[in-house]
Amino acid sequence: MKQTPQMKKIQENMRPGVLTLRGFLGADTRDLVEILEGDAAEVRRIGTTHRAIADRMRYLRDQGMRGLGEFIDVEPHFEVRVDSVRGGIPSPFGDAGLIRKTNTTVRNKVLGREIFYTDVNIHLIGDHGFYEGRGSLFRMEPHELAEILEVETEQQQTELPG
Amino acid sequence: MVSALLISVGAVSGISAFLALLMVIADATIANYGDVKITINGDKELDVKGGKPLLGILMEEGIFIPSACGGRGSCGLCKVRVTEGAGQFLPTELPWLTEEDKAANIRLSCQLKVKNDMFIEIPEELFNVRQFRSRVSSLRDLTHDIKELRLELIDPAEIEMLPGQFVQLQTPEYELTDEPVYRAYSVSSDTKDRRRIELEIRLVPNGICTTYVHNYLKEGDEIIFNGPYGDFHLRETEREIIFIAGGSGMAPIKSILLNMADEGSTRRARYFFGARSTRDLFLVDKMRELEEKLPNFTFIPALSNPEPDDNWKGATGLITDVVADHLESGDNVEAYLCGSPGMIDACIKVLTDKGVPEELIYYDKFG
Repeated sequence: MKQTPQMKKIQENMRPGVLTLRGFLGADTRDLVEILEGDAAEVRRIGTTHRAIADRMRYLRDQGMRGLGEFIDVEPHFEVRVDSVRGGIPSPFGDAGLIRKTNTTVRNKVLGREIFYTDVNIHLIGDHGFYEGRGSLFRMEPHELAEILEVETEQQQTELPG
Repeated sequence: MVSALLISVGAVSGISAFLALLMVIADATIANYGDVKITINGDKELDVKGGKPLLGILMEEGIFIPSACGGRGSCGLCKVRVTEGAGQFLPTELPWLTEEDKAANIRLSCQLKVKNDMFIEIPEELFNVRQFRSRVSSLRDLTHDIKELRLELIDPAEIEMLPGQFVQLQTPEYELTDEPVYRAYSVSSDTKDRRRIELEIRLVPNGICTTYVHNYLKEGDEIIFNGPYGDFHLRETEREIIFIAGGSGMAPIKSILLNMADEGSTRRARYFFGARSTRDLFLVDKMRELEEKLPNFTFIPALSNPEPDDNWKGATGLITDVVADHLESGDNVEAYLCGSPGMIDACIKVLTDKGVPEELIYYDKFG
């Protein structure tokens, strides 16, 4: 796919100092379209979808909100904390209004691993398949999200009990 | 035919983009807006050089407008009423402005450039806000992810503030930022002591300021802050006080309690503090000391998930459940809450269900 003028404008919004101090691209010098295609291929390889990953992130955040700012147990073996800091961030894609600075930390107790994401990440992944550029402070790796959050793959979804 | 059309569209787009780029470059380099006058609240006049955002120009003149993001347009706090000279609303302001704001000529001062004479209105109390140089006299762990930062003032040497107010701490350039960044933190200390302040700062993963405080700042370092800001303070009434907080939401409540102790308050007050386990609890001894000094004050820490080793004998459950269990009725009660928006919203529901009027519930929402 080719980088469209609209994508070029969106990529400008992602640069440091435009919407956020450090931007969304990190040290990644690729065109936005290449970043999106790279992560889309990775998500296909894992056997899931951007939507499924974002839905899982959102589900765990919603469960974690019950902890009122402290870690809370979420079935089957997660600990989740949802915290907020003052302020909000507009989406670089310009389509989500102002997104609050809500942070979710998920600990997978079986794997002994932890991952941290924001509401901006959920929007960018679910609505645009954008995991941020390489080296960005808030870059999410699709395979890490899938592993730690235990996102169901398409294969698991079709393996229904007989 | 199609290729000719595509070439035409491409040419027009290219010329438009080029002209837009030229305008941006010209605005940044060639444009000289000269000397302009800013009239504040109809009487105070500032003669300044035009061309920069209003927030920065006011800061250079010693007038500090609250801003938790340091002028990035990502907190929406630096709203100012501009009655003349502002021009059209900017796309970067619009996400933060309600229809009422727009009708009242409220603008986001970090985004609005001063290009000609301007008339603005700001609350009088902002004239008392100052920038302070201070030194870190102590930095200690309160929990595994909350630090207490004590600052001795250097210049000016004293600060006058109300318990419950906040300051904006400046993080200088370091690994995570190539320019100074400001973030807002409530003061946790006794405001009668004007020569020093204390802050309680919880580490936010990837947070620019909290990472700096937790991992880079050392005792003896100089640090800049400005303040005080905010209208979260104790109302002078005879009603019972219900305080509710969790995590670093402890800060403004502690400051209010210390000042109540100074004044020998006899008001009935209960403080519900939520944590997950004992490793997240802090300053319990300090709160027990305050129970000794304040005859009608009770501290009620509650753990939502105590570990077996905690041997916890106090209240258990989410803080909302514990408040619901302890608060018999909302009659003659006012409440002060500090925490995340989710925690505040859940507590407001519990309190109003008990009959506390919503207008008597005061809160400092982090979100």
